[in-house]
Amino acid sequence: MKVKKKSSVQEDSVKEEKKQKGKMKIPEAKEEQQRQEEVDSDSVYDSGAENESSPSNLEDMSDGEGSDSEDYPSIRDTDSEDEESGSSGNEGDLNTSGNDGLAIDHGNEDESDSSGLHEEVEESDSSEDEVAPRNTIGAVPLEWYRDEKHIGYDITGKKIKKKEKEDKLQSFLASADDSKNWRKFSDEYNDEEVELTKEDMKTINRLLKGKAPHGEFDPYAPYVDWFKWDDSNHPLSNAPEPKRRFIPSKSESKLVKRLVLAIRKGLIKPKKDEEEEEESVYPLWGDDSNSTEKDGNHLSYIPAPKPKLPGYEESFNPPLEFIPTQEEIDAYQLMYEEDRPKFIPKRFTSMRSIPAYENAVKECFERCLDLYLCPRVRKKRINIDPESLKPKLPSRKDLKPYPVKCYLEYRGHKDAVTSVSTEVSGQWIASGSLDGTVRIWEVATGRCLKLWEIGEAVTYVTWNPNPEYSILAVSAGQDVLLLNIGFGNEEVQKKTKELLCAETPSTPDDTATFVSWIQDETHEGTRLRHFKTVSSVEWHRKGDYLSTVVPADILFRVLSQKSTQTFSIKLGGIAVTSIFHPVRSHFFISTKKTIRQYDLVKGKQIRKLETGLKEISSIAVHPSGDHIIVGSREGKFCWFDMDLSTKKPYLIRQWHKKDINNVSFHRLCPLFATCSDDCTVQVSYGMVYSDLNQNPLIVPLEILRGHASSGGRGVMDCKFHPRQPWLFTAGADSVIRLYCH
Amino acid sequence: MDIDDGAGDRRSRFASSRSCRTFPSKFPTPPIPANYSRLDLSKVRSTALLKPFDFCLCLANPDWESEPFDFLINGVLVRMSLGQFLFRNGISAEKTLEIEYIRAVVPRKEEDPCLHDDWVSAVDGSSPGFILTGCYDGLGRVWEAGTCTHLLEGHSEPVTSVSIINPGGGESFSVATASKDRTLRLWKFNTEDPTNNPLRITAYKILHGHGAAVQSVAAQTSGNMVCSGSWDSTINLWQTDEPDSEGADVSIKKRKTAGEAKESQLEGEAVSSLVGHTQCVSSVKWPEREIIYSTSWDHSIRKWDVDTGKDILNIPCSKALNCLDIGGEGSALVAAGGSDPILRIWDPRRPGTSAPIGQFSSHTSWVTACKWHESSWFHILSASYDGKVMLWDMRTIWPLFVIDSHKDNKVLCVDWWKGDSVVSGGADTKLCISSGVSVQ
Repeated sequence: MKVKKKSSVQEDSVKEEKKQKGKMKIPEAKEEQQRQEEVDSDSVYDSGAENESSPSNLEDMSDGEGSDSEDYPSIRDTDSEDEESGSSGNEGDLNTSGNDGLAIDHGNEDESDSSGLHEEVEESDSSEDEVAPRNTIGAVPLEWYRDEKHIGYDITGKKIKKKEKEDKLQSFLASADDSKNWRKFSDEYNDEEVELTKEDMKTINRLLKGKAPHGEFDPYAPYVDWFKWDDSNHPLSNAPEPKRRFIPSKSESKLVKRLVLAIRKGLIKPKKDEEEEEESVYPLWGDDSNSTEKDGNHLSYIPAPKPKLPGYEESFNPPLEFIPTQEEIDAYQLMYEEDRPKFIPKRFTSMRSIPAYENAVKECFERCLDLYLCPRVRKKRINIDPESLKPKLPSRKDLKPYPVKCYLEYRGHKDAVTSVSTEVSGQWIASGSLDGTVRIWEVATGRCLKLWEIGEAVTYVTWNPNPEYSILAVSAGQDVLLLNIGFGNEEVQKKTKELLCAETPSTPDDTATFVSWIQDETHEGTRLRHFKTVSSVEWHRKGDYLSTVVPADILFRVLSQKSTQTFSIKLGGIAVTSIFHPVRSHFFISTKKTIRQYDLVKGKQIRKLETGLKEISSIAVHPSGDHIIVGSREGKFCWFDMDLSTKKPYLIRQWHKKDINNVSFHRLCPLFATCSDDCTVQVSYGMVYSDLNQNPLIVPLEILRGHASSGGRGVMDCKFHPRQPWLFTAGADSVIRLYCH
Repeated sequence: MDIDDGAGDRRSRFASSRSCRTFPSKFPTPPIPANYSRLDLSKVRSTALLKPFDFCLCLANPDWESEPFDFLINGVLVRMSLGQFLFRNGISAEKTLEIEYIRAVVPRKEEDPCLHDDWVSAVDGSSPGFILTGCYDGLGRVWEAGTCTHLLEGHSEPVTSVSIINPGGGESFSVATASKDRTLRLWKFNTEDPTNNPLRITAYKILHGHGAAVQSVAAQTSGNMVCSGSWDSTINLWQTDEPDSEGADVSIKKRKTAGEAKESQLEGEAVSSLVGHTQCVSSVKWPEREIIYSTSWDHSIRKWDVDTGKDILNIPCSKALNCLDIGGEGSALVAAGGSDPILRIWDPRRPGTSAPIGQFSSHTSWVTACKWHESSWFHILSASYDGKVMLWDMRTIWPLFVIDSHKDNKVLCVDWWKGDSVVSGGADTKLCISSGVSVQ
């Protein structure tokens, strides 16, 4: 406050005073009323005394140090002579000069006094906080000096002696006499008595009233407008106001937009001031055990596990039912040490009969061992239910029906059955075997109806998908035989015979070098002779086209025209299998690593799929034509979703330990199967949704076993029944099995 | 023959006999221990009956002593020890029980099998005079007393189903056969012809019209019509009588010119066709004049109204079905077996539910044939690919007996003959006859 400031001001050194005096001439008015009084001597509130003081002020300015020394005696009057006597005369003036201000104030309102005050105030004005107090002990408790004879040290290191304390009575009398006593107070720090001047009082009063501390400060002074507003004759610029001053700034709106966008995207985050503030506060007296997780940087406090609270049995005098009988105690000895109860209740009639705890030393030792050898460690345990990590698949019960159990076996082949094919109606199946026979079986009874001796190991049989023909294509060695099965009514038979009666092509064109059409008399069919081994034969859905894959070539036949075309497209490898698209006129060819899809009408490649497998063994197309499953020789299975834009498979699974020999889709049910040399068949659920956003749902359902391994081969082929959820599997053990739901 | 016997409680203290119709109630029944099973109960019953004076007629029969019995408690056959039975059915052991006994149904005699040249695919024993079989060699055969009297020649493919059109028709019989060659043939023969060699006869009428193999044939009770189910998923109805129309004669001429037909062979076309199944119609039955039942591989049993040609009832099943028979309680229960080892019984009279009322699941492979007993409400035969023929009683879930004469060869057909014999044919080319099955 004002008063304190004064007191601090009064401790200024002389040199500083000088400097400040120089500055004082600059009109600055903050708290120094006196300065202003000098400037305009006729201030409103000036009393006559002040008028007197103004010359003295002037004197002060001119005199400097000298005036200080003159003031000095007057101060001494009011204060104490002790100081003076204690301090040497020359040096004392430094001190006294500081004291002057005070003394002057408190003393009579003499010229000298007031002038001293003025000085100080003026000094304080400019010197601000640099002014050191007379006492230099710093901010230590004053009671440290209570028993000393000095109150501290001045700036030169000299002790400042205490004033002699007046008696209470004396001081009271003095105060009673002194009419200005109410304006006095004692400054304990400097051991002085300070008296407020009238001006001080006025200032205080003004402050109390909430006014400006300076009396002459006029808050309602008339406003002087220094700027000349009226138009000048020759303005600096006569240009009209530019338009941009009136329209919103584009660059700013851009900036705002950018910021808004960034905020929306989350690039800019609002500062979390509140949280930080919250963090800065922490419960000082809180439980340590709860605050342990907070800080990862420091050693965290690990609370000891809480011991169980003692119960009745731990009492020194437990009820009788808690006390074990002798037999029970004996029985404890038979138990394992871990199971044995740690504490056996005992009964004492009184507290004083309780002995010392027998295990005290032992437990103490063990506790130390624990602390030394096994310090507590915080175990980070993740509480995750392992079930929740599994992908959520529907239960198998909901996905019924699917083939589960083998009820029928088709026995008759002498060697491994390499291929089976189902008739469209599902009444018959055909099978080809390494023993050189092709058999037709009745599905419902398992009876072999027909048998053809081909002579060569049959590698592939496939039934014409068109119910208007009863033709079976059989590939054996280098030949493809088209056999008339002889089923169906007269019309079907007639058509079939027409289709199969092969006149030798009249014009031996280029294709004749690849393939020759020969009427096969023994089997009532047509023999297509190739010059290389045929690896696979596929029918088009209309039953008129036939594609055969020989290594490095793919040939198309048109039965009705008895013509053959080669498929003249570079495949980056040896063709393994081929398959027609079930809906569109597309064609899939798989080499050992890739699958290509061709448009047969346009004659160009549509898609190339990278399987990432080592060697593809078989492919199958979903009835919708948009999905392909691929089996490979390393036992891996891939699912391709053609709706996805990637070339990568949608799913790869290793369901088999050995080669996958064949894969197959069900025509109606969402089922597919893979059969492998490890003698198992994996039946899976493969639901394809018409909604393009929904990925196919693939659930492995059942592993069908039953085939025996023969010569390292297991299940050679698997085909679904066209209408029932049944699966035919052809095994190397020369048995065909039917798995029903 | 419901004779009420004395009852025993589990504690085997004392069992008072009540309401005994065949022997006096003053006669004290011995207490029956709880661990008694059928055999023990039979002994008890025999001794209990033998002690009194020859009271009942039954006792005149010297076989009684070794006679096995079946015992019924609350209408359920006892197939385990009494204690277990009471525990399972939650019957208090403190009550006095009423145990009914009936003669156990077991085959007493295995007659010589009739040997065929190929698999026996169909059998019909509805006529007491002979057994009609169909075979995979395309022939139908008529067997009388173990010898083949008639050979029905004409089918070019295996016969799949046979049916006697007029089972009670004196000496002249007409039968229908269905075959995989997409035709049905109707035959007539006279059983009185004394022959040493089997008489070869040809069909008097050939029914063309199915587009695929005919799987099943059934005759109307009146004998005027037959119906057939086929792989082309239709059921066709045919007239059996010999029409005198001109069209038929024309066809005969045609055939004669083709040089195939030697005798007068008529050709018939389907009167109407019942369309609704989506897959092979595996079995048809014509139990009443207006009602045809059919099963199909499309997992359904349908009941057709002949007049309108609509299906009035459609019972869905979860499996492809192979065989069907109508009979049992009120001749209204439907039994069907299919591509699983379970024989299921439905009650079509029960509204609002398509759940089977009974399931017999002791077979281990497909059920291929099932046949209700003509007169009994409870007994049903079933044949399966596991080579066994089983007789079931509706009052217990275990088979009454198992005929294992086919020795793991597939049994394809089974039928009752003369009410007390079971005839079954299978892939071992035999027609096995087990006689002496005393079903009341």
